[in-house]
Amino acid sequence: MDDVMSRDLISDLPQSIIESILTRLPIRDAVRTSILSSKWRYKWATLTQLVFDEKCVILSNDRCKVEDGLVNFITRTLFLHQGPIHKFQLTTTHLQCCPDIDQWLLFLSRNDIKELVLELGEGEWFRVPSCLFNCKKLTRLDLFRCEFDPPPTFKGFLCLKSLNLHQVLVSPEAIESLISGCPLLESLALSYFDSLALTIRAPNLKFLCLEGEFKDICLENTPLLVAMSVAMYMTDDIAEHFEQSSTCNFNRFLGGVPRLERLIGHIYFTKFLSIGDDLGRLPITYAHLKVVELNQVSFEDMKEILVVLHLITNSPNLRELQISGSSNTLAAIDAPDLDFWEDECPSNCTFKQLRVVRMTDMSGVPHEMEFIKFLLANSPALETMSISPCVYVMDGRLNMLIELLRFRRASAQAEILFIQD
Amino acid sequence: MYMILSLPGTDILTPWAFSKHLEYTWTRAAILTQFVQAGSESSPCELDQRTPLLSSHGSLCTQSFGGTYSGHSNATSPKNMGHGDHVVDQVARSLYVGYRNNATMDPAWFAAVETICMLNGCAMIHEALDTQIMKSYIWLQTVDGSIQQVEQEIAMFCPMICHEVIQKGMGSSKNYAISLPQQVNPAVLSLILDYCRFHQVPGRSNKERKSFDEKFIRMDTKRLCELTSAADSLQLKPLVDLTSRALARIIEGKAPEEIREIFHLPDDLTEEEKLEPLKNATDDPRIRLLNRLYAKKRKELKEREKLKNVEVDEELVDDRSVDDLLSFINGDDGDSKGIKTSKSKRKNRRRKDLLKSTSAHEATKNHNKESNGLNSVCRSAEVGQILPGVDATTNLQDVEDDIFPNKNEFDDGDIDDEIDPTLKEKIDREVEDFARRLNSDWPERMQEILSLGQEKKPVHLSLNGKGS
Repeated sequence: MDDVMSRDLISDLPQSIIESILTRLPIRDAVRTSILSSKWRYKWATLTQLVFDEKCVILSNDRCKVEDGLVNFITRTLFLHQGPIHKFQLTTTHLQCCPDIDQWLLFLSRNDIKELVLELGEGEWFRVPSCLFNCKKLTRLDLFRCEFDPPPTFKGFLCLKSLNLHQVLVSPEAIESLISGCPLLESLALSYFDSLALTIRAPNLKFLCLEGEFKDICLENTPLLVAMSVAMYMTDDIAEHFEQSSTCNFNRFLGGVPRLERLIGHIYFTKFLSIGDDLGRLPITYAHLKVVELNQVSFEDMKEILVVLHLITNSPNLRELQISGSSNTLAAIDAPDLDFWEDECPSNCTFKQLRVVRMTDMSGVPHEMEFIKFLLANSPALETMSISPCVYVMDGRLNMLIELLRFRRASAQAEILFIQD
Repeated sequence: MYMILSLPGTDILTPWAFSKHLEYTWTRAAILTQFVQAGSESSPCELDQRTPLLSSHGSLCTQSFGGTYSGHSNATSPKNMGHGDHVVDQVARSLYVGYRNNATMDPAWFAAVETICMLNGCAMIHEALDTQIMKSYIWLQTVDGSIQQVEQEIAMFCPMICHEVIQKGMGSSKNYAISLPQQVNPAVLSLILDYCRFHQVPGRSNKERKSFDEKFIRMDTKRLCELTSAADSLQLKPLVDLTSRALARIIEGKAPEEIREIFHLPDDLTEEEKLEPLKNATDDPRIRLLNRLYAKKRKELKEREKLKNVEVDEELVDDRSVDDLLSFINGDDGDSKGIKTSKSKRKNRRRKDLLKSTSAHEATKNHNKESNGLNSVCRSAEVGQILPGVDATTNLQDVEDDIFPNKNEFDDGDIDDEIDPTLKEKIDREVEDFARRLNSDWPERMQEILSLGQEKKPVHLSLNGKGS
C-alpha cells in the first residue's frame, strides 16, 4: 500500500497533457504504458497521431520476421485504438506491396484521417486502394513509391493543404486534376517523375517543389506562390522538345507569381526558362522576391544570361543572390556578344537591397566576369560578394583575381571574398 | 449621475459605449476626462507639461475621484488639442501612477484608466512606466493563501494571468489578488516565474532560449509533474510542451517496473489484466503464450457457467446427434467437405495425442482448437440449431475438465475410425516429434508462472517458445 508520500505523480494530469507526452514517445513505448496501472490501461488508445517505423519491432536479420512483426504490430494497434486518428505515418523499407496496408487504409478512411504519410520500400510499388479517395478530411498526403490511380468519379480532396508525391506512378491528367481539385492546396512537392508535362492550377498554392524530368511546366493559376524550388533533369528528347517550342517559358512559368519571395532553380532551370521568344515583353515586377538561387547557369548561352538579368532587374527588393555556373570553358572563352554588356545591358537598374551575392563554380569566362562587374557596379548596398572558382580551373584563377580588382564597386562596404576550396 | 467620456481626438463616447467597451458598469468607472480637459484650461489644477509626475497628482486625482464625481460638469469638446494632448497624456500617466500607489482603488476604475491610457497612446504609458522607479506589479494568490506581487511584464507572460488582468481587472492590489489555480503552489510558482522572466525578454536568440530550457528542465520527477500541471492550468503552452517532452524522455525505453517506480504508479492490474491480449508490444513470445493460456482459461470459465445450466443427458444426446450429422454430412459430401473434415480430424487426432502424452504445444492446441471451433461452428450452423453449450464444449481446451477429455475421446473416437491409418501414423509421428522438440526448449520458469496462475493445472505442461 502506497503511503501518502509516494502518491501517484502523473496519472491525474489532464488527458491533453498525457496525450502530449505519449505523442512524443515512440509508438511502441506509448502502447506499453497500457500495463503500467489500471488508469493507464487505455490512455494510449485515444492518441490521434500514430507514427510507425521500423523501431516498432525488434530488429533482426530475418526480413520476413521483421515484416510480419511490423504488420502485426500495426494491425493490432489499429484494432485496439479508440477514437479518431488524425495522423498516420508509416516509414519503412521492409514493406512494399502488402494486402494489410489496404486494410489499414480502409480503417483509417473511416476514422477521420487527416494526415497520411506512406513511405514504403523499393520493389513492387504499392497500389493505393480506392478507399484513400474517400478520406474527405485529408489535409496532408505524402506518398513515396506508390501507384496512384484515382477513380473517374474522384473530384479531389477538398481539405488538402499539403501534397507530396515522390516516385509515384500516376498519369499526368490525374495529377493535374488532383491539383485542381484541391482548392486549399498550399504546398505541393512532386519528385522523380518521368517526362511529366504539367499545368498547375492552384489558387492557394504557396510552396512548390518540383524535381524530376519535366517535359513542360506551366503555372497557370498560382497567384499566391511564395517559394519555389525547381530541379529539372533533362534527357535528350526533352531537350529536343524544348528546341521546338516557341512559347516563352519564362512567362508561362514565372509570369503569374507576383508574390514570390524565394526562387531556387537547380540544374537546367535557367535553360528551361530561356526557351521561347518574347522574353521581357510582359512587364512583371517581383516586388517580394528576396532570395534567388540559380544553379548551373551556363554563361556561354546568351539566352540564359538574359533570363537571369530579366529576373533580377525586375526584382527591386532582391536581397540575396546565389548563382553557380556551369560553363564549358573552352566554348565560352571566345565569347560572342561581349558588347552586349556595354551596349544593350540595362544600365539604369540599381539593386538597392542587394546585400549578399555568392557566385560559385566560376570558370572565369568573359561573360561571368562581365556579370560580376555588372552586379558590383549596380549594388550600392552590397555587403558581401563571394566568389568560388570552379575546381577544374587552376590557371585562370590569377586572371580572375586581376580582373576582379579592377571592377568598380558601387558599395563602399562591399567585401569581395575569393574562396579557394 | 453619469460620466461623459471624451477622448482627445475622438467623438464623445456615451456612457453605454463606455461600459460596453470596458465591460464594467458605468457607475463605477470614474474617469473624468473633464477633469483632464479642465486641467488644460483652468489653472487651479496646475497641470501642464512641466508638471512632474508626483504622487501629489496621484492624491489629487484620488481626492477628486474619491469625492463628488460631478466636478466639472461641462462637457467641453476637445479644443486646443496640441496642448491638451500632452497634458492628457501626462495626467493619464499620473492617474496611472497614482492608482498604482494607492492600493485601495477600485479595480474597475483602474482598468478604465488603463484603457484611457491605451487609447491615448499606450506606448507612452509604458515608456513612462519604464522610467519610473516604481514598477507595476501584479498581485497573485496561491492556493495556500499566501499573496505575493510579481512584476507585471513577467506575470503577464502567462495567458491566464493576462486574461484576469485585462478582462476582469484583477491583480492590481492585495485585496484584488488573482487567485491562481490550485495546482500552483508557491514553489512551483517561483519556477514558473523564473521561466517567464527569462522568456519574456524579446531579444534572446533561439539558441539561448533552448539552452536555458535544457537547464531549466533538470529537476526531480515529482517537481516536473507538478510543474506540468501548474503550467497547464496557467495555459502557458511553451512550458507545457517543454515539460511534456522531458516526461516523455523519462518514460522512453524504460521497463514498466521502472516507470512505475519513478512515478509511484500502483501496480494494480490483476495478472489476468496484464495477460489480456492488449498488445504484444514487446513481441515477447512468452507473453503471447500467456495470452492464449488466459484466453483458454476464460473460455473454460465461461464454459463451466454454461454447463451448469445444461443437463448432462441432453448434452450427450446432442453431441451424439451432432457427430452423427457431421459424419453424415462428411460422408455424403464431396471432396471439399472431406478435406475439411480430414483436416479437422487430424487436428482432433493431434489434440488427443497431445493430451494423452501430457505434453502439449499450447499454441498448436489453441490454434487447432480455435480452428476446430470455427469449423464446428460452421458446420453446426449448417446443421441447424444446437445448444450453445455443445459448441462450447467442443471448444474446450483445458485438460483439467473432467467432461472434456471424455467428449474429446468421444469425438475423436468417432472420427478416428475414418482416418486413413497411414496418415494417422504419420500424424502421430509428427506430433511426437514436435512434442519432443518443444519439451526441450522451454525453461522451467514458465511452468512456475503457470502454476501461480488462477487455476492450478495438474498436468505438467511444457510450452514452446515459438508461436503458432
